[in-house]
Amino acid sequence: MTPFDLVEPPSLGEALKLLEPDDSAVRPLAGGTALMLLMKSGFFRPKRLVSLRAAGERLARIRIEPNGELRIGAMVRLAALEWAPEVRRDFPVIGHTLRTLANVRVRNVATLGGHLAHADPHSDLPPVLIALGACLVLAGPRGERAVPVEGFATGHYETVCKGDELIVEATIPPLGRRRAAYAKCTTRSADDWPALGIAVAWDDDGAIRSPRIVLGAATERPTRLKAAEALIAGRTLDGALLTRAGEAAAEEADVVADARGSVSYKKQLVKVYVARALRAAGAGPAAP
Amino acid sequence: MSATRRIRFTLNGQAAAAEIGTHETLVEVLRDRFALFGARESCSQGLCGCCTVLVDGHAVSGCLFLAAAADGVKIQTIEGLASGERLDPVQEAFLECGAFQCGFCTPGFILMTRQLLDENPAPSEDEIRHYLSGNLCRCGAYPEIIEAVKLASHKVKSRTPGGAAP
Ligand SMILES: Cc1cc2nc3c(=O)[nH]c(=O)nc-3n(C[C@H](O)[C@H](O)[C@H](O)COP(=O)(O)OP(=O)(O)OC[C@H]3O[C@@H](n4cnc5c(N)ncnc54)[C@H](O)[C@@H]3O)c2cc1C
Ligand code: FES
Ligand code: FES
Repeated sequence: MTPFDLVEPPSLGEALKLLEPDDSAVRPLAGGTALMLLMKSGFFRPKRLVSLRAAGERLARIRIEPNGELRIGAMVRLAALEWAPEVRRDFPVIGHTLRTLANVRVRNVATLGGHLAHADPHSDLPPVLIALGACLVLAGPRGERAVPVEGFATGHYETVCKGDELIVEATIPPLGRRRAAYAKCTTRSADDWPALGIAVAWDDDGAIRSPRIVLGAATERPTRLKAAEALIAGRTLDGALLTRAGEAAAEEADVVADARGSVSYKKQLVKVYVARALRAAGAGPAAP
Repeated sequence: MSATRRIRFTLNGQAAAAEIGTHETLVEVLRDRFALFGARESCSQGLCGCCTVLVDGHAVSGCLFLAAAADGVKIQTIEGLASGERLDPVQEAFLECGAFQCGFCTPGFILMTRQLLDENPAPSEDEIRHYLSGNLCRCGAYPEIIEAVKLASHKVKSRTPGGAAP
């Protein structure tokens, strides 16, 4: 790696001023796990890194709002999110997903903001956050805006977050009667990046309402499988519906081949894992 | 341009300081400035755990951790685990179970086990395997490593009054 200017602004406002939208060699730094790999391989040679380590309490906290909404600062470490009592209690699917994301050491350092901004299509959390209807708060020179996690990533390592903007926090609406689950498949070692991840969620009033089925890792970016969603909406889960939902999902999913599997193999995985994720969500307790 | 800086931190219980380049990793600084060779770089990608050190009690990959981010933290390396001649129970357990062959991966496994037992003094075999899935042993000493973690768990419990970890 080559030397660079490292700054640690004491507030979000100062951090924003230190970004240079027209210079790709200036980047925010969170846990650094993704940036370090890019710097070590020589792919990224920064001129300046703006560490968000001291950029204020708002980026560092996890809390439940009075209306039940979960608010997670961008600098919250994935391990802190995994172990937070309010997350374990009210959003078990998040803790469950994090438990199999990378390894303990990465989760001890990597942050939620870095995870989302990096926008690696193999990331585990985006499908789950999309299924739960989460939003991100972005801050920039012209103020703040909220964007849904759905649509945040626009392609491989690309997002709608502009060069002069920072992710401040993520907000997740209360689960209420929503059931949710995440099922992933790693085709190499247990801690490898997933070949595919499926997040599902729906409101349960006896039948399936407002379902979301989101596919990650096997596609260019996390993608809702809307034909499969339409198929299960208003129904109750049974074996036949699981099979048909899996088939519909495999049919519509625009999967890409990589070292973790061919297109036909991943289509088969989609079929199996959509059914698994739906079954897991259906079996788990709906939040009270 | 501030491409170098002075960091201060606690290293194995002692105050320490170093002049570092912003681009240097923690494992490089521990080896080059402090002659601590227990954490060693192998995969360089966060995958194998040979470079594990504890930062404020949390295991991290020293190969992916900027030394600059160590300013103000407490660092523990394998060299600081024993108290004088008295080994940590996890170290004893690894010796008694013969949980290594070449020993290259051992500091990482021991520090990970230390953090595991601090969080969960009586892990199941499943929990042990899951927790250590990000550590690789090229000699394949895995069965003995699992046994060593179980033994360490017993040792930790029997050393702590009331049976539970502090
Ligand atoms: C060994 C290993 C295995 C892994 N396995 C998995 C896996 O199985 N599943 C998975 O999902 N992920 C996996 N990952 C990826 C991991 O989740 C990411 O590296 C991590 O989440 C990035 O977070 P960070 O805080 O370290 O980001 P950084 O490296 O600090 O930053 C990443 C990017 O985000 C930008 N950024 C950071 N914070 C902000 C902000 N607040 N606003 C705007 N931009 C920002 C940075 O400029 C940079 O471009 C793995 C990583 C490693 C090293
Ligand atoms: S050398 Fe750091 S994890 Fe392998
Ligand atoms: S003992 Fe040789 S690598 Fe583990």
